[in-house]
Amino acid sequence: MSVSKHVLSLSLVAGVAVGTPLSALADDTRQGQPGSRFNPAISVILDGNFYDNRNSGDFFEGLEHARGFVNPHDHDHDHGGTEPGFNLGHTEIGFSASVDHYFDAVLTLAVGSHDIEVEEAYGVTRSLPAGLQLKFGRFFSGIGYENDQHAHDWDFTDRSLPYTLIFGDHGLQENGVQLNWLPAWPVYTRLGAELLQGENEGMANYEGARDYDSGAASDRNGPRLWTVFAKLGPDLGPDHALQMGVFGGKSRLHQNLHGSRGEEGETWFAGTDWVYRYDAGGAHGAGSLKLQAEYIYRERDLSVVGVRSGSELTHPLGERRRDKQDGFYVQGTYGIAPRWMAGLRYERAGMTNDPGVRSNLPADVDWAESERMTAALTWQASEFSRLRLQLAQSRLASDNSGGRDRFDQVYLQYQLALGAHGAHSF
Amino acid sequence: MTMRASIGGVLALILLLGIPGFAQAQLSVVATTESMGMLARVVGGEQVRVTVLAPPDRDAHDLVARPSMMAALRRADLLLAVGSGLEEGWLPAAVRGAANPRIDPGRRGYLAATDQVDLIGTGVAADRALGHVHPEGNPHLQLDPLRMAQVAQALARRLGELTDAPQEQFLERAGDFDRQVSARLEDWRALVRDAPGMLAYHEDVDYLSEWLGIRILGYIEPLPGVPPTASHLRSLAQRLSGTEGVIVHANYQPARGPQFMGETLGWPVYAMPMEPPAGADGGQYLDMLDLWVRTLARQRD
Repeated sequence: MSVSKHVLSLSLVAGVAVGTPLSALADDTRQGQPGSRFNPAISVILDGNFYDNRNSGDFFEGLEHARGFVNPHDHDHDHGGTEPGFNLGHTEIGFSASVDHYFDAVLTLAVGSHDIEVEEAYGVTRSLPAGLQLKFGRFFSGIGYENDQHAHDWDFTDRSLPYTLIFGDHGLQENGVQLNWLPAWPVYTRLGAELLQGENEGMANYEGARDYDSGAASDRNGPRLWTVFAKLGPDLGPDHALQMGVFGGKSRLHQNLHGSRGEEGETWFAGTDWVYRYDAGGAHGAGSLKLQAEYIYRERDLSVVGVRSGSELTHPLGERRRDKQDGFYVQGTYGIAPRWMAGLRYERAGMTNDPGVRSNLPADVDWAESERMTAALTWQASEFSRLRLQLAQSRLASDNSGGRDRFDQVYLQYQLALGAHGAHSF
Repeated sequence: MTMRASIGGVLALILLLGIPGFAQAQLSVVATTESMGMLARVVGGEQVRVTVLAPPDRDAHDLVARPSMMAALRRADLLLAVGSGLEEGWLPAAVRGAANPRIDPGRRGYLAATDQVDLIGTGVAADRALGHVHPEGNPHLQLDPLRMAQVAQALARRLGELTDAPQEQFLERAGDFDRQVSARLEDWRALVRDAPGMLAYHEDVDYLSEWLGIRILGYIEPLPGVPPTASHLRSLAQRLSGTEGVIVHANYQPARGPQFMGETLGWPVYAMPMEPPAGADGGQYLDMLDLWVRTLARQRD
């Protein structure tokens, strides 16, 4: 999106945010209606950091060339704009309200230095019977645990490696519909299914028809991707909480279209997510513990559908490969004192990392794995502000060098929340 | 196509499992706090089954929306909340995750206690530089038996609308509660007539101060929700030194600030319950108030 086009809309957004007195929002809470007298509840989250990385150069460059996880869009990305020095992260502006008796609506904009992106814009039903809810529009898919959280809900500054490498910088964010069902059972059970357009760069990349000297990439109408997920949360009393989930999805079309050749085919993924929380009851999170882990496996069944003359020898038309990768993260946070939280995270990707064809790189399995260790210290000054120091050391398997490159990263991050309080989901 | 097959499967599952196969005799009430649960038990009697979301020894500001809360809310006929922003950090998420339109704010299955009474502390500036303020009004009304009795009346009317049982039955029980409160009011007030007042931790004793007629000499917190600072405690100590009083804080609030003030001023310090014990009836609730009154009257054994 262009800069100039959005200066106007940005100032409009700012005008709305400033023009609505917060007391009006509050007044209406008294009427039992979160939000305000017909105006949406507005929240703004400012996010910025001081960043540095050492040793093998730019970490985000390294991430784009992580062996087995090179995605079609990677080369024109701006890494979310994070560069050594001071960075303004995405400023998140959220609106939410009940539309009428039937629907709630949510809009979340991510305002960058040069663009505005619609992170989520969806309607969700209010009145369906039998524990059913239908969500439609653009949203973060309900798969897994981390995927549908916004950046300010994370316990670390950045998205985890498996999600970034498999689904890309935004996780699985799509246009489509989601059906949720919460049966009236004593044990929390949530079942969901989604029908999505299929534009995710890692699992359902779509560029449409393209002619090659021989062969052609195909055109296919959406929806091209579906997912299912299930979550289970047994009642462990007021101090403990556990949620276990499984999820999976399948895409009818994933395209990998380069100048010299084009590949396309079907893909699928499956994974599991686990969250455990212990609430110690201490003031402001002291003594409380949260453990979280997710694993994702994906397979892409790709065939060469088009080649430029001269490239037939390296990649003959019709050559088929089964590309398999996986990744996991395990993380824990602990309230070391009131308002102080320490976190550790270990991530690994490419335990399975098989491109499905003979490669010109040495077939040393060790080189195919990427890993990162992260430590974070967060100070929650209040419910509305936090400062975080995060250190990470990673070894990324490189498609360029064929070796494992070491990166050290440091973030000093701030997050400031204005406006509506915004309850945190589990 | 597999997609069509899976959608068909989901629909079949819904038909098989989604329709409740039995009629429920009791009304399922989910209360956010133990005091609200007490009201539901007192007024609802045999006609209700009560689940409480917040443990009695926890700050209801500070909870996390657990999956088990959503499971309870999914099956609730009535959500009895405190309101006025007390539960805003977790209850909206739990209600959203419960997919139960009956208990949405604005519907008959949602009742907020703070919507039923006049609140104190309304009209303060909605400025978070002033701490964790509730511009809607102070939500900590559970230590005020008079307002709790008003809430009981409103709850009785609502239960009458939601059940087949005669409304008079609920109103009668609410009236009983009111009479039990009134019977002890004068004794309680008499006990604290000459009491010097209290140094409190948070603005959660303001209603108590109002109905009991006892002074609040100061707050350990410099601003609502902001942890005590050394300079604030020093200025409190300066102002109050040489006078008398009692220091009280909720059992979930950090004891360090109150202990420090207790040692500095030579005042007794008490960690107090803000909620009656789990599963409490009206008697246990009044016992809790009695403990507060005797503590402030410096007549604790």
